[in-house]
Amino acid sequence: MGSDAFEITINGIKLVLVFLLMVQAVPVLVWLERRGSGFIQNRFGPNRVGPLGLMQLLADAVKFLTKEEFSPKAATKLLFYAAPVFALIPGTLGFAAIPMSSPLHWGNYVFPIQGYNMGVGIVFILGVSSLAAYTILMAGWGSGNKYALMGALRASAQTISYELALGLSLVGIIMMYGTFNLSEMISAQEGTMVFHAFGNTVSTGWLPNWGIFYQPLAAVLFFSATFAESNRIPFDLAEGEAELVAGFHTEYGGFKMLLFFIGEYGHMMVASGLMATFFFGGYNIPWTTTEQVYQWAMGIAGTADGASALTSLVHFLSYMIKLGAFLWIFIWIRWTLPRFRYDQLMDLGWKTMLPWALANTVISAVVIFAVSYSW
Amino acid sequence: MTADSFIFWMLAAVTLCSGLAVVLVANPIYSALCLAMTMVGVSALFATLGAYFIAGVQMIVYAGAVLVLFVMVLMLFDLKTELGTFSRGKISGLLKIATVGVLAGFLAGVFSMSSELAGKSESAGALAGTEASKTLGGLLFTKYILGFEALGVLLLVIAIGVVGLARSKGGTHAKH
Amino acid sequence: MPLGGVIFISVFVAVFGCLCLYLGRLFGGKKYQDSVKLEAYECGIPSQEKKGTRISVKFYLTAILFILFDIEIIFMYPWATSFKEMIAAGIGAYALISMMIFIAIFIFGLFWEIKSKALEWD
Repeated sequence: MGSDAFEITINGIKLVLVFLLMVQAVPVLVWLERRGSGFIQNRFGPNRVGPLGLMQLLADAVKFLTKEEFSPKAATKLLFYAAPVFALIPGTLGFAAIPMSSPLHWGNYVFPIQGYNMGVGIVFILGVSSLAAYTILMAGWGSGNKYALMGALRASAQTISYELALGLSLVGIIMMYGTFNLSEMISAQEGTMVFHAFGNTVSTGWLPNWGIFYQPLAAVLFFSATFAESNRIPFDLAEGEAELVAGFHTEYGGFKMLLFFIGEYGHMMVASGLMATFFFGGYNIPWTTTEQVYQWAMGIAGTADGASALTSLVHFLSYMIKLGAFLWIFIWIRWTLPRFRYDQLMDLGWKTMLPWALANTVISAVVIFAVSYSW
Repeated sequence: MTADSFIFWMLAAVTLCSGLAVVLVANPIYSALCLAMTMVGVSALFATLGAYFIAGVQMIVYAGAVLVLFVMVLMLFDLKTELGTFSRGKISGLLKIATVGVLAGFLAGVFSMSSELAGKSESAGALAGTEASKTLGGLLFTKYILGFEALGVLLLVIAIGVVGLARSKGGTHAKH
Repeated sequence: MPLGGVIFISVFVAVFGCLCLYLGRLFGGKKYQDSVKLEAYECGIPSQEKKGTRISVKFYLTAILFILFDIEIIFMYPWATSFKEMIAAGIGAYALISMMIFIAIFIFGLFWEIKSKALEWD
């Protein structure tokens, strides 16, 4: 975690801050989701408690807190209580691995503005997010309720099916950048579009050098698959309330329910962060490079430390805007598309997205191979 | 004791304890979950050795796929009534004790061998992140290409076999 | 080493979660429990099936096919990282063709599964 006590302490605090950022974003997102739903459906949404209904968040938290603590007779107590606690872990570990800003140089120290800089970023995030299936299975089986169990089985079959398309859509991205490391991917997307083809260097000044322009199909597949991974509409079959009451969290209430909520929103935030990182330049400001931003900051701050801090701050804001935009799309889609039927969902995952992801891999490989020759 | 060796011993202890729990716990669901914990521990141990890519693969394939299958299949049973068949009986007790004995034997062997090796080897310079995977990719596609393609065929055979088994008579999706 | 950070935050999050559960227990309103309330939340009338419901073998089939395809995808990752370097080293055509054979086997498997209706849900 670091070489001396100061660095270790700072890195520890940073990790806790990343986690708290994720947790405190949940009430804001819930508020945004409810107001946004109201806006989309031409109604008000919460607007009575405090200005714009903002105090509704606090009221909800208090309500969650004072709900009766309760576990059904048929439940397996240990699994029933362990599941919501485990629900937090995959989202947090994934979110902490995404770079949020350019590294902060302070004196002799370099602090990456992220939980930890994993060398194998993508593989790590895929690994921890695949653990989310256990949470669902533990909750569903631990509840001792047949609807919860059915919901859990459906949800886990769904997440594993879409993990295939998710993992495969990333092969093209990895091929293009030649790395697993998210920071290296972001630095490869700096500035305006420049690429080498057939021995020539092609540059277009009016487009940012973003991954989506090289891998558009992968972006669509990846974003769709993350909807299924985070159990959001149109893929929230796990809680199809017409058939399954509320799926795997039927028996949960109060703070236990809140922990599941944080887990679900955590998945959304990981998905949005990865979307920004792979396809939209990560923390970079469009059309600029980190070096240009640093020069600009140097002109304002004067000192190297101050300029680095300002650069990090500006990049952090840029990342937050991108993250927020994708989170808003998650909410938007919820009120745009209806829920799929289960067989449609499985067909889409296995028969449409998986073949297209394979096609994307083949096409990317052939194109990368072809443009490497000059004639 | 340095921080790295502390992390290693802690992870080793967690991995071993959850491994023991797999055989000692009566409820098969808990056994499977403990096995998943063991896999996560093994993955973290790979990471302490600097093999980050292998650690990730261990996590994705074993903890994230194989054991999800185990847990899912166990949940298909009505375990509350069938628990007896898993936990009672002299044979299963004997098996457990024998398994623990074999494990202890392995453990003793590992300790005696690793104490010998620990002095000798400088840990191989950990290839940070992607480099290891690049080396692996290079080797896989030059030296071990035949094995790699054979693996593709093997996986195909398994996939076909699975469907054949699921559709054999008596199943819910038997051919009519 | 980032592993220390991963372990630290996992433990921190687990403690945070347990604390939340404890807070919920501490402030969680009145305790009123009768036998009906402790029943599983279903439809209100006594359940007809005493044994667990039978569940389709499809879930098992899906999970095992997932493992197989997941392994194939994982094998593409090292190739993807080193592909550009292999091109630079002059063995690009060789790397491309060997991976295309692998992907062809993959595609054959996938379409065989689709054709044999193993992925059909009804």
